[in-house]
Amino acid sequence: MNVERRMKKLKAKLLDIRIGPGAAILSSDVKKIHLEFARKINDGHFGARKVWRNYLPRLKYHNPAISMTINRTDDQEGPATLTIHFAPHSKSTSPTASPAPTSSTDPSTPPPDYNPSRRVETIDMKHKQDSEILSRLLELTKATPYEASPDELVELREVDDNKMRSDRDKKAQMRLNQIRKQEEALLAQAKGAGKLEGASL
Amino acid sequence: MASRTSLPYLRASLRHPAAQLPPLRVLAPSITCRYASRLSRGDRRERDQPKKKKRARTEFINQSLKNAVQFSLCDAMRYNRAFEVGRPPTSSKYDLAIRLRTIKNGPAVRNRLRLPHAVDTSIRICVICPPDSAISKQAINAGASLVGEDVIFDIVKEGRIEFDRCICHVDSAQKMNQANLGRILGPRGLMPSAKLGTVTKDVAGTVKGLIGGSEYREKLGVIRCAVGQLGFTPEEMQRNVKAFVGNVKKDLALLSDRINKEIHEVVLSSTNAPGFSLNGDFRSPTSPPTRDLAVL
Repeated sequence: MNVERRMKKLKAKLLDIRIGPGAAILSSDVKKIHLEFARKINDGHFGARKVWRNYLPRLKYHNPAISMTINRTDDQEGPATLTIHFAPHSKSTSPTASPAPTSSTDPSTPPPDYNPSRRVETIDMKHKQDSEILSRLLELTKATPYEASPDELVELREVDDNKMRSDRDKKAQMRLNQIRKQEEALLAQAKGAGKLEGASL
Repeated sequence: MASRTSLPYLRASLRHPAAQLPPLRVLAPSITCRYASRLSRGDRRERDQPKKKKRARTEFINQSLKNAVQFSLCDAMRYNRAFEVGRPPTSSKYDLAIRLRTIKNGPAVRNRLRLPHAVDTSIRICVICPPDSAISKQAINAGASLVGEDVIFDIVKEGRIEFDRCICHVDSAQKMNQANLGRILGPRGLMPSAKLGTVTKDVAGTVKGLIGGSEYREKLGVIRCAVGQLGFTPEEMQRNVKAFVGNVKKDLALLSDRINKEIHEVVLSSTNAPGFSLNGDFRSPTSPPTRDLAVL
C-alpha cells in the first residue's frame, strides 16, 4: 500500500489514542482497574462497553504500568462494575523483574506486585452514560488531564483538514457518478427506441 | 478584450466539471465541450495512439520509506498494549511482517524455527514409546502430554484423540503398524511416519522442536510470523524478534547467487492493532520503563 496513505491513517489512529476524553495520567497509587460487565448491552450494560472501547485504550496508553483487565459475563442481569485497586507505591520491587502474565479474564488474580494494604473503590456502571462513568473514574483516581503539545495540535488540525477534504471529494465524486449514470441511462433508452422504430419500418 | 472574455470559459473547463453542473443539465443536448474521461485534448490524442506493449513487472513495488513514521520496539509495544486493552491475553498475539525486496517468481523463503520464547505452548503431543522407559521419561520432560504404547492404541481406537501431534519411537514403530491406527490417525494427518520425521530415535528433541516451533513462508514478498504473546516483556520480544529476523537473514543468504533478496521493512503488529514499522532501536528516550510494558 502507498506509504503516504498508510502513514496518514496510522497517524490519525495514534493521535486518537493520545488525545481525547480519557487521556489522563492517574495518580501513582492506582495499581489496577478492573471492569466487569455483560457481553450484550441489554439491561444497562451499554455505558460499560463504551468505556472500554473509547476511553480504556487512552488510559492504558498514558498509564502503561496500571493493569487494566476486563471480564465479560454471560449474565445480562448481573452487575456492571468498575473496580479500582489502590496500593501505596512500593519501591522494593526490582525494576528488572519480569512479571508473569496475569490473566485478563480472571478477576481474582492480583496485580504483579501484590500489596495487602490496599484500598478498593467501586463504581456502579449499570444504566450510566460512558462520560458519566469516566468523570467519576477520573475524580476517584485524582487524574491530571494530558495536555496536547503544540505539535500534536498541528497534527490534529491536519487530520481534520484531511477528513474535510475527503468528505468534499467524496460528494463531488458521487455527483459525477450520478451524472454519468443518468447519461448512460438516457443513451440506452435512445438506443432502445431507435431499434424499435427500425423494427416497425 | 477577446482574450479576457475567453478566460472565464477556460477557467470553468479547468475546474471539476461535475461540481457546478446541476444533474438536470444532462437532459439538454450537451454542447459544451466536457470530456467524459476527464482527459484534455492532448491526452486524448495520446490515448488514441496504438498502445505500446508494456513490459510486465517482475518485481514487487517497494515504496521508499523516507516519509514513513518508524518506531522503536518499546514505543510500538506501548501502542499495541493500548489497542489490545481488555482483550483476553491468550487470543491476542504480536506478529511480525518482514517485507522483502524480491522478484515475483522464483524460490520462496520457507523455514521453521524455534523462538527463544515460545508463542504457542498449548500444543498437545502424544509420544508412542515403551512406557516406564528412559525414553518415555525424556519425552515427558520435553513436554509430551501422552506417553505409552498399548494404552494409547486403545484410547485412539475408542475414538478419543486428545492430542495435536503424534510422534513414535523407532522401536515402537512395528507395534504401532500392527495396531492398525492408520485408518483413524491417517485422515487427521497424525499418523507418524519416517518420511515426515515423526518416527525418530531422538524423541525428546523432536518434541522440543514441535512445542516452541513456528513455521513461516514468504507470500507475495512478505514473511509473516507470530512472535509473541501479549504478556511478553520488551526484552523477551526483543530476543524473539532478533531470532526471527536473524533466521530470515540466514535463509536469504543461503539462496543461490543469482537470486538476490533483501529485507525492506519490518512491521510489528498485534491482533487488534495497526502495523508499526520498526526502526531497529529497542527504546526511545520517551518510552516508559520496560517493566511497565508487560503489565496487562
